[in-house]
This record gives sequence, structure tokens and C-alpha cells, in this order.
Amino acid sequence: MGDTATILTEVFFETISFWWVIVPTIFLGLIVGGIPGFSAANTIIILMPLTLSMSLETGLIFMVSLYCSARMGAGIPAILVNIPGTAGAAATPLDGYPMTKQGKGQQALAMTFVASSLGGLLTTIIALAAMPLLARVGFYMHSVEMIVVMLFGISLIASIAAQDMLKGLIAGFLGLMIGSIGTDVVYATPRGTFGFLELYDGVPLIPALVGLFAVSEAFMIIEKRLIITEDAQKAMARPSWHATFEGVGIAFKRWWHITWTSLIGLVIGVIPGAGASIASFVAYQQSRSFSKTPEKYGTGHPEGLIAPESANNGVTSGTLVPLLVLGIPGGATAAIMLVVMQFHGVSFGPSLFEESPKVGYGMFMAMAVSYFLMILTILPLSRYMSRVTTVPTIYLAPMIISFTLVGAFVPREYMFDMYLALAFGVLGYIARRTGYHVAAILIGVILGPLLERYFLWSLKKSDGDISILFSSTLGNILWVGLVLSLVVPIWLDMRRKKNAQKDQEEIPIQ
Amino acid sequence: MPLDPKDPPRQLGGELVIPVLAVAFTLYYFSSIWNSPWTAQVSAFMVGGILLLVCAMFFLRAILWLSRGQASLGVGNLFSIEDLRTGRIGLIATTVAFCVFIDQLGFTLTTFLFLALSMIILSKGKSPLLIVAISAVMALGGWAVFIWAFDTRFPRGWFEGVMQAVIANG
Amino acid sequence: MTMTRKLDRRGFLRTGAAASAMTLGLPGIVRAQDYPSGNINVVIPTREGGGADRNFRAFTSVWKEKLGTDFEPGFFPGASGRVGYEIYMGKNEPDAYNLIFGNMGPEVLNWAVQPPSFPLEDYFYFGRVDTDPGALFVGAESPLQTMDDIIAASKERKLNVGTSRMAHPASIGLLALGEELGIEFNLIPLSGGKNTVAGAVTGEVDFSVLTSGSVIAAGDSVKTLLVFGENKVGEGLDNAPNINDAYNMSLPEMLSSRAFAIHQKAADDYPERFDLLQSTFKETFEDPALMEAYVASKGTPEYLNYGGVEECAEFMAAMLELGERYKPLLTGA
Repeated sequence: MGDTATILTEVFFETISFWWVIVPTIFLGLIVGGIPGFSAANTIIILMPLTLSMSLETGLIFMVSLYCSARMGAGIPAILVNIPGTAGAAATPLDGYPMTKQGKGQQALAMTFVASSLGGLLTTIIALAAMPLLARVGFYMHSVEMIVVMLFGISLIASIAAQDMLKGLIAGFLGLMIGSIGTDVVYATPRGTFGFLELYDGVPLIPALVGLFAVSEAFMIIEKRLIITEDAQKAMARPSWHATFEGVGIAFKRWWHITWTSLIGLVIGVIPGAGASIASFVAYQQSRSFSKTPEKYGTGHPEGLIAPESANNGVTSGTLVPLLVLGIPGGATAAIMLVVMQFHGVSFGPSLFEESPKVGYGMFMAMAVSYFLMILTILPLSRYMSRVTTVPTIYLAPMIISFTLVGAFVPREYMFDMYLALAFGVLGYIARRTGYHVAAILIGVILGPLLERYFLWSLKKSDGDISILFSSTLGNILWVGLVLSLVVPIWLDMRRKKNAQKDQEEIPIQ
Repeated sequence: MPLDPKDPPRQLGGELVIPVLAVAFTLYYFSSIWNSPWTAQVSAFMVGGILLLVCAMFFLRAILWLSRGQASLGVGNLFSIEDLRTGRIGLIATTVAFCVFIDQLGFTLTTFLFLALSMIILSKGKSPLLIVAISAVMALGGWAVFIWAFDTRFPRGWFEGVMQAVIANG
Repeated sequence: MTMTRKLDRRGFLRTGAAASAMTLGLPGIVRAQDYPSGNINVVIPTREGGGADRNFRAFTSVWKEKLGTDFEPGFFPGASGRVGYEIYMGKNEPDAYNLIFGNMGPEVLNWAVQPPSFPLEDYFYFGRVDTDPGALFVGAESPLQTMDDIIAASKERKLNVGTSRMAHPASIGLLALGEELGIEFNLIPLSGGKNTVAGAVTGEVDFSVLTSGSVIAAGDSVKTLLVFGENKVGEGLDNAPNINDAYNMSLPEMLSSRAFAIHQKAADDYPERFDLLQSTFKETFEDPALMEAYVASKGTPEYLNYGGVEECAEFMAAMLELGERYKPLLTGA
């Protein structure tokens, strides 16, 4: 233990001395994270020659801080203009964008930065401390258990749909159906692809994301001069640091919320193959389920923003665990880190902490230091970033459209994806105009294919015997948890209504 | 969900678009997996079945409302004269044109034309110089990031060709 | 930080490759001919940054010196390689300036399962770069640690076996093994190598089969028990035996095998261009710089394995035949 402490202290000071790498990388990460289509993973690939030419330490710190900051960057356009930069930020606009519309963009940004950094920092420390334990999570979370985790996220459709249940379900199941486009995971039979090879691997997420959220929103916002309300305009006319502090305060007051939602992210992050999008939806759903004011979610409720953002940053630290301990990358960015580290002759896996402990601890330390420096560098910027909302919609809408259609093209470089984003834009526009929730459609598109994948793996393993779904102890515990998280809020709601009724009845007597 | 009789009849025409699309797509999807192995079918039939069911319930509810006169088949919430006035129809048209022409004209020029044209439509012709300047800066910025720096496979037109030659010789 | 440098990745790679070629002291053989008068475009039907990408860059860094022109990769991933092939056959001119760098194992097996839109005779592989046999492996903590464990366990229940996808040579290797031993295995396609390794390590499946290059990369989190071909790396694959030696079988090697292919029409219309491509390709293998480029790119140099038109045709035919034979199992039809 004494050895570990010495190594940690040593690594900490070494990492801090790389601030000159970390700070510029943070800005790069914020930018690429904010542009839909770009991500930490493809930026590292694009800059691969540069990354490989760096020393092991520099390369490692560069990749880790890019990873963290890109994750945080994705939340910025999600909050300000309803464009989630990556699927991991798809739950962020649910409450972030309404806050912006109310003129609280600066608060929302500050809140996100604090929630992300605290969530990231906290989970990094926990991951470091409990690494061997966390690495075991993947050994218990198999396809059966993951089905239930997916259902946690998907059940969000029902909560979102609360106003008009039929329309909400239509939107959600349409999303799930669209998400089923592509070859089946077992025998690769093409399904519902309209003959397009580009759809064989399923609906690409970025075009769906920007189409449904951003393009359709751009068509909507031109009704008004600004995306923020008139009251908000007056407030925004006097820019001040006050809003930033207010956001920071709101976030710190909810430190417990940040803690437990980031832990959801951490646990989902350590499962190989799961990712930030699942984590943020599950965290949002859980946050809403256990809230005393579930009806406020979706209207610009701070907790609705804090939950997905702390969760997806929890995932970031989580994905490092299977990479370092088992040699299995938890996600795309981790996979590329693996390639780069192998190039430098470092092999991940059980022997890493024996052979090169400095690399192992160094990655977590780089993450912790990045989060720490990030909050210092980015928080002051929230005041300026939020000014985007004062750009008149006649300029903003065309910019959003061109910017996001281009973003749809970037990941695969197919023109097809641009047309697809346009198609999703039109679908999203019709949905918005006629009162269908685009978020419900999107949850289906993102989580549907993942649910089907785990479902088919389970069924294939059992030769089609459906009882496999209830064959594991942990799975069954999760099933009970799922049922509870769906039933308890309804029960609480009923009780609250009853109490309110009682109160009302009591008033006249007084 | 009973409607308040005092409200004007709910315009269901627009609301029917999504369920109709959903039903059409689901039936097409089913036709594409009719002769496939069970792995391709099981999940899709489950999800699609529920989707068809909720759509059917929606249609039934719509028929009920229509027959009671609580709703009409109007499409006012989807299209209105306002859409023409605000330039929304124009913006949708320029967006479609952007996707259609980008292949021929190249990324930079199409982006510039799209931005300039849609902003002019939306601003109803006010401050054209500012708009042209903004559009040019945005288009050139996009060119610098996506084509010059990141070398993506964006459609190239004569502008990109000229710039390439200039850079190669300069 | 060098962030201020211009971020042109292809330019970067080109300079990088050129610099390394220069330091290796390569003689730049430039031929005084019309062809090639420009870059050779190469379709790569997988993602940028993947195994094919690295392999391609290492190989062409030497080949381009022989041919006297650059190779420009274009990445067209999707549908297990189908997108890339369809674009190559449908959109690229058959003029010997356009090649495709594919994987003769899984991609040809794909055709057996579901034919492409173009006739298979319209293209052919002419230059095999490497041969990477499939391998069978267990997670380090799996209760099954030997082939005997696996055979014994499979007598009690049907074992679940992870594979990257059904139509893959490694899957065929496993099915052939099952046939030989009279065991029925349940193949679970885990969508990609990463998940296939993870599946074996975490116990999602009992064990997995995969291209051995990816198994080597997984390090000591897995243990290899059998190779569907010759074990050229020895220790890297835990000295696992060849399936044919272990079970007295005569299965052709189940390979992932990267190779350059060209339109048949290009070879017919421009025979002298095609000859030049072939001869320079072969010369590349004779140059020790190739091995160095492979070592430098952290590839598995043992797997470098020259093959010409004939070897490629033979392998493609074998894959098509095996695909046909196991089609019901691979398609669930």
C-alpha cells in the first residue's frame, strides 16, 4: 500500500507538470466534442500520426484529456441549441435546452460543467480505489442483465409520454422500429433497409440525432426572433458573472444527486460494450423516478440536466477499468487508446499493474487532473458561450442546418448520411408540429438496436428459450428494481395527489 | 382522454401523419423479413406488433372523436399560411436544395449559397451585405476545417479545385 | 505541443512514410513509363484506423517506392465490407488506377452467404499480403482451460462459442471441428473482435474463436488452445497446436487474408499496367524494408505471406466452397 501511495504521489506531480499538454487539449476536446460527427475517437484517429509521434506519457495524457473534454464539449451545443454532439449527450437537451430558452443558458452551462467535472473526478477516484472490484462487474453483467438495463433506459419513453400516452407510445415504438433497421445480429439478414447498403449496419446515430433534434428545431425556431423568451432577453441584456455562480451553486447544492448519478455512469461504463448513451438515459430515468417533482422534468429542471451529464462523465472513467484491468476496451475511444499503447509496447491486461504501474495509475491521474483543470478553464467561458442564444434565429437556423448536415456526413463520409439527416429532420419537424415527442423517437432509435442485440444473444444462447431472461439471480434483482422504479413513482404520485386533496378538503374547515 | 367540449375541434389531420407513416413503415419492414430466420423476426414482430396496436388504438380514438364532432381532419397544426410568411417553407426548400446540389457544386459554394439564400429569405431581404459576409465567412471556415485541415471526403466542386491548385502552387 | 502544425493527416502519413523509407535507405526505383502517371486509389472496405488501415500503410510504404507513385486510401466501411466492394465495382473506373484492399476470408465467405450485386468474376485478387489463421481461445479465468475440458464439458451441455460474425473463417473452423468431434457448438456472433474477446473473458460465452491477430493483441487476458492453421507465432498464441495436427484433420487453413484486388476488365484492357502492378507487388516482398515497416507498425511480421493470382484464386474458391457447404448453419435458413 505504501508503494502505491508513493507511485500515486509521484504520478500526480508528473501529470500536473504536463498542464501545457492538457490545457490546449481541453480546448480541442471541447471543440470536437461540440461538433456533431466528431468525437474523441475519430479525432485521435485523425491525429494518429501526431499521437504516435508523442512520447508514451504525453500521448497518454493527450488522449485521456481529449476524451474527458470531448465528453463535456458535447453537452454545450446540446444545451444551447438543442444539438447533442454525440449520442452520449442525447439526454442532455431534455432539460438543458428548455433552460436556455428561459434565458438560463449560462446557469445551465455552469451547472453542467460542475456536474460533469465533479462526476468525472469522483468516479475517477472511485475507479482508482475500487478498480479490481469494478472490473468484476463485467463478469456478472451478461446479455440477460443488460436487457434489463436497456429497459430501464427505454422505460423513459413512458414517462416522457405521460401527457398523451398513445402518442408517446407511437413515437417511442416508431423509434424502436426505425432502430431495428439493419441486418440482424445473428444471421446478418438485411431488414427494412429499402435496399440501401448504407443501412445494413443499422441507422447511423449522428444523422438520426442531428436530424431529429437540431434540423427539426431549426425549422421551428424561426417563428421567433430569438430562441430565448422575451423575459429572458431582458435578463440576458445585462450579462454578468452572477448567472455562472448561480449555476455553480445549484450544482453544488445537488452534490448528492451528482454523486449517485455519476455512479450509475461508472457502473454502466465498466461493462464492456455499454456506453454513455445508455448511462445518461438510465440516469435521467432513475433521477426522474425518485424525484419528488417528476412533472418538472423536461421543462428545464436542474436535476434533469445534472443526471445525464454526471452519468456520461462517470462512463468516461468507467471505460478505463476494463481496458486497464482486463485489456478489453469498453468503448471506441478506449479501443483506440489500446492501439496507441500497444504501439508503445505497453500491453494492457492483468499484468499491467505489475509491469508498468505508472501507466495504469497515470491514466487515472491524467483523467483526474484533466477534470480539475477543465473546471478552472471552462467555467469562466460559460458567460461568453451562452451569448450564442442572442443571435437572431434568421442567422442561427440556417447555420444550425448546414453545420449539422455537414456533421452527419463526417463519421462515415457518405452523402447518404446527409440525406438521412434531412429525412430525420423532416420526420422530427412533423412530429414536433403535431405533438409527438422527438426525444421518445430518439430513445427508441438509440437504445432499440442495443436492446435487440442483447435480447438475440440471450435467445441464441438458450436456443430460443425465453425463460433465460429470468435465469440469473442478478438479472432477477434488476427485474424487480425495474418494476419498482416504474411502479413506485406512480404510487408516490397517487399518494401525493391524495394528500393534496386531503389538504384542500381541510382548508375550508380552518 | 375526453376533450373539453368548449375547445375548438382538435385538428387531427396533422396528427395522423406520424401513425400512418409508422403503419406503412412497419408493414414494409414485416414484408422484408417475412421469409427470414427467426432471429431476424422475433424482436421486430414484437415491437412492430405493439406499434401497430397503439396506432390502431389511435385511429379508433380519432374515429370516435370525429364522429362526435370533437375533432376535424384539418391539418392546420402542420401547415399554415404562417409557414409561408415566416419563410419556413422557403427554409425547408433551401435545405432540400442544399442536399441536392452539394454533390455538383461542391461543399463550399453550396454552403455559401444555402446560407446566403436562406438568411435572405428569413430576413425578407434585409441587410443583404451582412448576410453575404456572414455566409462567406462560415463557408470558408467550413472549407478550412473540413477540407483543408481534416481532408474529409466532402463533395468537391470548382472552388475546392481552384483552392487546391492555389495551395499546391503557393 | 505540435498542435499548431497543419492537421492534414494524409499529408502527415505520406511524409512520415517517405521519411521512414528514406532512413531505411531504399533505392527509389521509378520506371520510365506512362503508367502510373498519378496516384493509385485504393478502396478499403473497413474503418479508418483499423487493422486493414495499418496493414495497408505499412505495405504501401514500400510498394510505392517500387511502383513510383503514391497509394491513396479511401475508407468505405459498412455491411461487412459490402459497401466498399459495391462502390469499387460500381463507381470506380476499371483503369488499373483503382484497386481494392480486401480480406479474402470473411469478405468472400459473405458472397457465399449472400451474393453481391455484381458477378464475382468481375474482380479478382492478385496480391496477397498476409495470412492470419483463426484461433480458438478461452478467457484467463474460464473453468475450461484445455481442449479436453471443452470436449468433456460439451458432452454435458451445448457450449456457447463467441465469434465476430457467422460468415467468418474462424466460425467455419469451429463448425468443422464440431463435425470432426461429433459435438454441436452454439455459435454466438458477438459483432466484432472486441466483443468476441470480451465475451470469452467475462464469461458471456464459454469460449471464442477469432482471427489470431486480435487474439495476440488481447495479451494474457486470454489463453489460446487451438489454431485453425499453422501457429507461426508460437508463444504469442500460447504454443497452441494446429487443428490438423491435433485432430488429424485436413482442413484448409481458416484465414483472414488481406489482399489487393482489381477489376477483371482493367487487367484485360491494360495488361501491361497489370503486369507492372504484379511485378512490383512481388518485388515488395523481396525487399527487407517490408519486414521492417511491418515491425515498425506493430503488425505481426510472421503473417506476411506473398501470394499471387493463383494462390488467391485457389483460396477464394476454397472459401466459396466452404461457404456453400456450411450455408444453412451460417444463415439459419
